[in-house]
Parts: sequence; C-alpha cells; structure tokens
Amino acid sequence: MAIKTDHKTFKGGVHPPYNKEMASSQPIKAAPVPAEVIIPLSQHIGAPNEVLVSPGDKVTVGQKIGGSEAFVSAAVHSSVAGTVKSITEITGFTGAMVKAVIIESAPEQPEFEKKAGADLDAVTGDRVREIAREAGLVGMGGAAFPTHVKLAPPQDKAIDTVIINACECEPFLTCDHRLMLERASDLVSGVKLLMKAVGAKSGIVGIEANKMDAVDEVRKAAEGEPGVSVEVLEVKYPEGAEKMLIYALTGRKVPPGKLPSEVSCLVQNAGTALALYEAAAWGKPLYERVLTITGPGIKQPCNLLAKIGTPISTLVDFCGGFRGEAGKLILGGPMTGWAQKDASAPIVKGTSGVLVLTADAIDVGIEQECVRCGKCVDACPMFLLPNFIVQYTKREEWDKAEMSGALDCFECGCCSFVCPAYIPHVSYAREAKAEIAALRKR
Amino acid sequence: MEMADTMQVTVSPHLHRRDETISRGMRNVLVALAPLGIWAIIIFGFNVVYILAVSCITAALSEIVMRKIMRRPVTLSDGSAMVTAILFAFLLAPTTPLWVVAIGSFIAVVIAKELFGGLGKNIFNPAIFARVVLFFSPLAVYSQRYARPFFWKTTGFFSPVATSINNNVSSGVVYKTLAGNSTSLVTAATPLSLFKSGRLLPGIVTGPTPVGSTWVTSSGRPNVGGLFLGLKSGTIGEISILLILLGGLYLIYKGTVDWRIPAGIIGAFFLLTLVTWYHPVDNLFGGGLFLGAFFMATDWVTSPVTRRGKWIFAIGIGVTIFILRFWSARPEGVALAIIIWNPLTLLIDRYIAQPRFGEVTNPLFSKLPILPKSKPVPAAKSAPEKT
Repeated sequence: MAIKTDHKTFKGGVHPPYNKEMASSQPIKAAPVPAEVIIPLSQHIGAPNEVLVSPGDKVTVGQKIGGSEAFVSAAVHSSVAGTVKSITEITGFTGAMVKAVIIESAPEQPEFEKKAGADLDAVTGDRVREIAREAGLVGMGGAAFPTHVKLAPPQDKAIDTVIINACECEPFLTCDHRLMLERASDLVSGVKLLMKAVGAKSGIVGIEANKMDAVDEVRKAAEGEPGVSVEVLEVKYPEGAEKMLIYALTGRKVPPGKLPSEVSCLVQNAGTALALYEAAAWGKPLYERVLTITGPGIKQPCNLLAKIGTPISTLVDFCGGFRGEAGKLILGGPMTGWAQKDASAPIVKGTSGVLVLTADAIDVGIEQECVRCGKCVDACPMFLLPNFIVQYTKREEWDKAEMSGALDCFECGCCSFVCPAYIPHVSYAREAKAEIAALRKR
Repeated sequence: MEMADTMQVTVSPHLHRRDETISRGMRNVLVALAPLGIWAIIIFGFNVVYILAVSCITAALSEIVMRKIMRRPVTLSDGSAMVTAILFAFLLAPTTPLWVVAIGSFIAVVIAKELFGGLGKNIFNPAIFARVVLFFSPLAVYSQRYARPFFWKTTGFFSPVATSINNNVSSGVVYKTLAGNSTSLVTAATPLSLFKSGRLLPGIVTGPTPVGSTWVTSSGRPNVGGLFLGLKSGTIGEISILLILLGGLYLIYKGTVDWRIPAGIIGAFFLLTLVTWYHPVDNLFGGGLFLGAFFMATDWVTSPVTRRGKWIFAIGIGVTIFILRFWSARPEGVALAIIIWNPLTLLIDRYIAQPRFGEVTNPLFSKLPILPKSKPVPAAKSAPEKT
C-alpha cells in the first residue's frame, strides 16, 4: 500500500513500480552523431510541414528543413551538418507512415554557434512567441503540441499562472530529473520567459517527492526570482497529466473538453522550458534533446543528449546494447509509450525515453471477460467509466461510449494497469474517440 | 541477443499491477472465508466438511460440463466456481442433506452463472440465487431447520447428519445419519426467529425456549458475546461475526472488496433498527447481515462500479433488509434483499451519473448525448444494390 503524504495531489491514479534508480544517477552524456539521421518532417500535432530542401543539398546544424505557413505547426531543423540523401516515407514510431528527410552526416561536425549577448530581461512577450515558433518548439513530454500556440491563448482568457511539469510521473524515465539537477538556473530562466510570454504573475515548478535533490536545486536557482516557486507533489501516476497537475497545484479544475487557459493556467514541460531558454539565449532551434535509455533490457542505462532523427539502434548500441530475453521496446514511458517492433525508428522531439523491457519484466495477460470489479473506475483520474467505454465500443454504440466519457480519456492507462481481466481499455477508447469524431464531422 | 524479431507490440500501458488478476481476487476471498469454515466445523462438526465437499465438487463438474457444452474455454482455474460453491454452502443449515446441497450448487453454477453467459455476465449473485431458489422450492424444509451448536456431541464428530422428513412428529422434521438411523437432536431457534416469534407472531412458535444453549441468557434473550463470537445456531457461514469482520477487513485491505458496500448496508440497517428500536443489537449480530454485507453484496459482477452507485446499492439493500425483517413473516431478509438489488445494478450503472473531473454541474442522473445511435452504413455500399 502507498504511504500517505501531505504532498499535493489529485484523486484517483495508480502507483506503478517506478524503477527510476536505474538511470537517475547517470549524468547527461552526448550521444554519438549517427552516420545518417532520419528526420520526420512533421513531429507535432497540427498542420503538416512542407519540405524545404531537396536531395543533394548541403545542410548545416540547425538549418530549417521543414516548415508550414499554418499557425498550428512547428518547424523542423537539421540536427547534423551533411548532405540530404533522400526524402522518403518511413514507418514512424506510432506505426503510421510519415514523410522524412534522410541526411548523411558529414565526417566533420562543427559545434553549433551560440549567439552571444541576448538580453533576456529586455525581450518582449511577442518576441518570446516568435522565438518559440522559429525554434520549432513543441511540448517535450510526449504530446508534441506546438509551444508558440500554447503561448497565445484566446484574448479573453488571461493567464495568471505558468506551471512547469517536472513531475516525470512515468516510471523509468529520468531525463527531466537530470535536467533539473544539471541545469536548474537555465530552467528557471526558461520559466521566466514563459511567464513573460503570457503575462503570468506566478510560475510554479511541480516536482514529485521522489526527486527531492532536484527540488533543492531548482529552489536554490529560483531564490530571489519574483513569482517563481517550487512545489512538491505526491509520487503518483499520472501526476504530470495537465489537468491533474493544475488541480494538484492550484485547486482549479479544467472543465471537460476545455483547455488550461479556461482556468488561467499554462502548463509546459520542464524540457520545453529549457529548450525555450536555449532558443532565446543562444538562438538554438530544437534539433537535439535529452532522453533516457533505460530498462532491464539495456546493459548500461543512461541519459543522453541525442540528435533528433537518430535511429533507436544507434542509442541502444551506445548504451552497451540489449541484454536478457527479448520483451518490449518502447518509445516513451511504460504507461503511455509506443511499443516498437524493431529499433529502426528515429527519435523525435517528443521522445522522452527508450525503454527496453525483458520478457520476464512484462506481465502479458490474455484479455478476459470484464468482471465489473470497478477497479478501473476507481483508478481513472478523469472519473470516467472505462469498463463501459470498452463495452459500448465493442457493441459500436458510440453515443453511450461518449456518455461513459470516451472523449475525455487522455489515455493515461491507469485502467488497464489495474484491470484483473487484462482488458486494453486504451485501445478501445482510441477507437471510440476516432469513431465519435468521425460521426461529429458528418 | 537478437531482439528485433521477437519484440512484442501492444497498446500502452506496458505495465500491469503485480498480482492483479481475477484468480488472485478469488483466492483472496477463499483465504478470507477459510476461518469461517474452520469455525463452522468446530461448532457443527465434520458434517460441514461433507457439505462443502459436495458443493465444491458439484460446482466444478457442472462448470466443466456446462462450458464444454456451450463451447467456451473451461475457466475453472480462475476460482470463481469454488467461491460460488463455498459461499452457497455457507448459506445452508449445517444439517442440509447432501443431495439438496448438490442440487443447489448445480443451480448456482449452471443456471445463475453459465446460462447467463458466464462470469461477468450473470445478473444475480449465483450463491444467493441458488439459496433463494431452494428457499421458495419444496426443498425449503431441508435447509431451514437449525440444529443447536455442538450437536455433534450427541451424534459423533465425524458422523454425517441430515435433515429428513417425518410427518409423524410434531415439527415434521427429524435428523438422520447416513445409514438412515434417526438421531434425536434439539432444534434451536436462530436468534432472529426467536425474537421474531416473541414480538410479532406470539404463539406460533411454541415449545421450550432453548434456555441453556450457549447464546441465550436465562431471561431467554440472546447474549451479545455469543452472538458476536458465534456460539449460536444459524447457517454454516453466518455465525461468527468476529471472523466475518476479520475476513471482510482483509478483503478491503487487499482491495478485493470496496468498503462502501458493507458500510452502507450495515450502517443503513443499523440506523433504521435504532430509530425504530427494533432489537438493534440482536438484529445486527443475530442473522446473516454481516456475511451478506461483506461477502455476498460485494460480488464484483453484481454490484455497481461507481462510488455513488455503490452507496445507493448498499443503502438500498440495508433498507430492504429492514423492511423484510420488520414486516414480513420471515425472520431473515438478507438473501432476498440482495437478490432484489442485484439486477438493479445494471440500472444504477447506466442511469446514475458519475460527474467527470471538472464537470461544473453535478446531475444525479445521466443524460444521453445526441449522436447517431450506431455506425451509419457507408452510402457507397448501399447505392449500387438499389439499382
């Protein structure tokens, strides 16, 4: 049973085994530059990008290779210096076909030239949004929603609080933890930029209680910064889900189907805040990110700074390779990540980790008939009825599936985690959401 | 290692809570029931073991045969048939004839569970269903005469004893051993039937008040210690409130059972008996209230899934038990109350709303959204058929 604490939290949720110790003490290392990077043209939620290069072109590090005129989009930049080899369709990490630019790396990789002398105190809110857009920033927790769109909430919704999601509630992952330990002051500068962009008076960094060393570091860095504070949250999954986090930190509840701006909040991932700082201070676009390579199936779990477009296999080899009996290869965390059939897919802006589980570490059950125990209902942080979403999806009764809350499901997976009948609720909920959306469009 | 060819691809989440399986839940129930069985053996002798064995064997055989006939995979290993069989046996008088036990166990598994579609699809708690069917059948006489605690001192610990019919004696019931020899046992009123007869039906139950049996004081009233610890007559499983409480708390701790259901049932019922001053203590500990509240009404399949639904269900059962015990001619009402509320579970889950996170309004009933009822047939497919 979980130990009750006084730390802030939400209702519902689960306590999976965290297994953070595998990688949490490993300092961030730079991953090798692969011989070839595969950069998907669109790595965000929104309008797809146009390709801006053609095969044979020479590109430099940070050069824009894909962009769109549409507002809800995020530009893509080359992560290496080299030559565009081809523009082709590849199988992305979700299993869908995506267009990608394949770039052969030059043998000599020059360092990215940091722009010096940027005055972060003088920069305006509008300029911050522009910087975010130019740098192709997206939410780096996994959802990959364009940051500059989030920074431009509707005119009638004033934002008073910026919340930094540094919970890292997904088991195994430690990249945000390492970022906070190693770059706390840059993170705080990023928070200040975010506050400036939306005109918020306060900025709260929410950290789970299993990272007290990070709490200390960020608190030290935030000392003397007006409005910036650090709050400790209970260790529970999904503490870092946007609506759960807002509720835990401010007591405000985002209504179903609404965005955080409805309750005057903006939530950004810790990695995103840091990337915004790098973009504003150094003019550096988002072409590399920190991620955790971990799990019982990895020889040397570690935290790496890797180029976007690096194939998973390159990173796994750098960490000593696989070990144990084959199980699952997951891009992201174990609760919401995407299982891969092999290590060929490239990492993208939203990839927070590569997790390898051995056969003995995965609990594969056969889906059985629902016994209506109600454990999924108790675990659901959105207070939905997961068992009924499944039942109505099986019967294709979409109106009732919606009544059971299908559209409010954000696929955290708590329901399946506790299900004694091993029902994959998330898979059914995805189907229901797609069908309901299709029916709505008609 | 060569991982590339053998990676498993499934939808997230990729973790599952340790030991969270149906069979583990059932095993928890069996563990919680074990002390009750042992206590029943001490009080009623080895006869209890014969009844449990017949119930379990019948349930297992019925399930195997039935699932083969219905071409479903045999799921004996999930333990649900064993739980049903033991719960059913716990609802019987300790001298119920073994053939009656077998019929009841068959009804529980085949009719109440498998014919409804198997575990998860049944709308009645199988054990209670079988008990209630027996109760309203000509076999009722075999399962509602309760021998006095420690009756095995007269017949011998290991000798099977069964209720039998003899119209020549005044009660119509005698006890016989397996060989068919009659044995004289003193029947004892259960605590509930004792005060039921005393208060509402004077004169119907005559004969000697069982003064001197362990659970009655010299004034003829049940004594609280005996009631609570379980030195009284009754069904096999209901007698020891203490052990039921321990087992129930274990299940709540293990997360197999939701505390709201026993709390709601016992709370609502106790409150009503307090308000009406209808033997509150005897009513609380005298009958099957605790067994029903902790082990029967909490059945996963036949109780609501939402927190609000659970409260409504539980309080409803508590009130119904009170109505049945207070106004009906029968002293008991727990099984009937649960069987009445079991099918209402479906209505509760469907029409009692559970407000979503952040929902501003807090309606009690759900409303159906306006959307096409089901997947519309694509126009392209139907068009050529018409021409």
